Amino acid sequence: MSDPTLDERLAALVGTFVSRGGPQVAPDPVNRPMIRHWTAAFGDANPVYVDDEAAAVSRFGQVVAPPLMLQTWTMPTPELTGIAERGGSPVATDGPGPLDLFDRAGYVATLATNSEFEFVRYLHPGDVVAAETVFEDVSEEKQTRLGPGRFVTWATTYTDGDGEVVGRQRFRILKFRPEGVPS
Amino acid sequence: MSGALDTPVAARGGAGGAGGIAVGDELTPLVIDVTATLIVAGAIATRDFMPAHHDRDFANAQGAPDIFMNILSDTAYCSRFLTDWAGPDAMVRRLAIRLGVPVFPGHTLTYTGAVTATRVEGDEAIVEVSFRAAGDLGDHVTGTAELSLPVAGVTQ
Repeated sequence: MSDPTLDERLAALVGTFVSRGGPQVAPDPVNRPMIRHWTAAFGDANPVYVDDEAAAVSRFGQVVAPPLMLQTWTMPTPELTGIAERGGSPVATDGPGPLDLFDRAGYVATLATNSEFEFVRYLHPGDVVAAETVFEDVSEEKQTRLGPGRFVTWATTYTDGDGEVVGRQRFRILKFRPEGVPS
Repeated sequence: MSGALDTPVAARGGAGGAGGIAVGDELTPLVIDVTATLIVAGAIATRDFMPAHHDRDFANAQGAPDIFMNILSDTAYCSRFLTDWAGPDAMVRRLAIRLGVPVFPGHTLTYTGAVTATRVEGDEAIVEVSFRAAGDLGDHVTGTAELSLPVAGVTQ
């Protein structure tokens, strides 16, 4: 199964940006409407996310965004037209990105397996978040219950408008060749 | 190194709240009845438009029997589970999850967990937690977290 050329090309990804174009800047600053939608979707009644008075007497002193919205702020605005033709990718790309290497090697399916967050500080309405994501590791091909695949780990550093780090995330996906599906 | 605490620390439920937190304490379980509506609402609230989280035909074509919850929703429920128990003064410092079997509409997710360590760092009490979310097919999420709470009423 070894393909030195492929292994070398995948190894060369480590340390490079996962998305072309470098850091992703949040399309909107941290804001109350998105926070309210989030708390409603998850039934999270923590008052420090939405209630000024409760937040004022908490350790935070003011309304804060739910910490686990960190990844949400920098999610790209979707382009719904053509989403099926793009194989489900919510954003259009004008050429192959780094992850296309995996698809071309037959690892066409994607499954998230791990997510690890570290929060330096909670965000407030008005904060503008940017995310810089680089490949941290690409595993050898492994046989999984879903089919042969490679675990791909990337590390994201989230910063605020002053460039200060507000959080970090390590995210791992399995890019795999679904068993029974011709590739 | 900060020593583990022999005595409960960290007021729960806000300033001056009742009770302390100690190793072995079990977190208040959180039960989620998973529906298609809940999965779609979570995906869109987290800005995740991958069709497998809202379009059953697409999910079927990818080999899944139905739409399934996105990982941003999983971590959202984890934080709700943690702060529902620890109170509004809790700050999530760290959260690490591993995904197991999927959950689909009609399944029930039950979050359970326990305190594995406590320590004091300056004016913060750090509480380490180990938890899982069990679904109909087995463990959907296993993870660990570190919460910070303002130190209140630490007794030595």
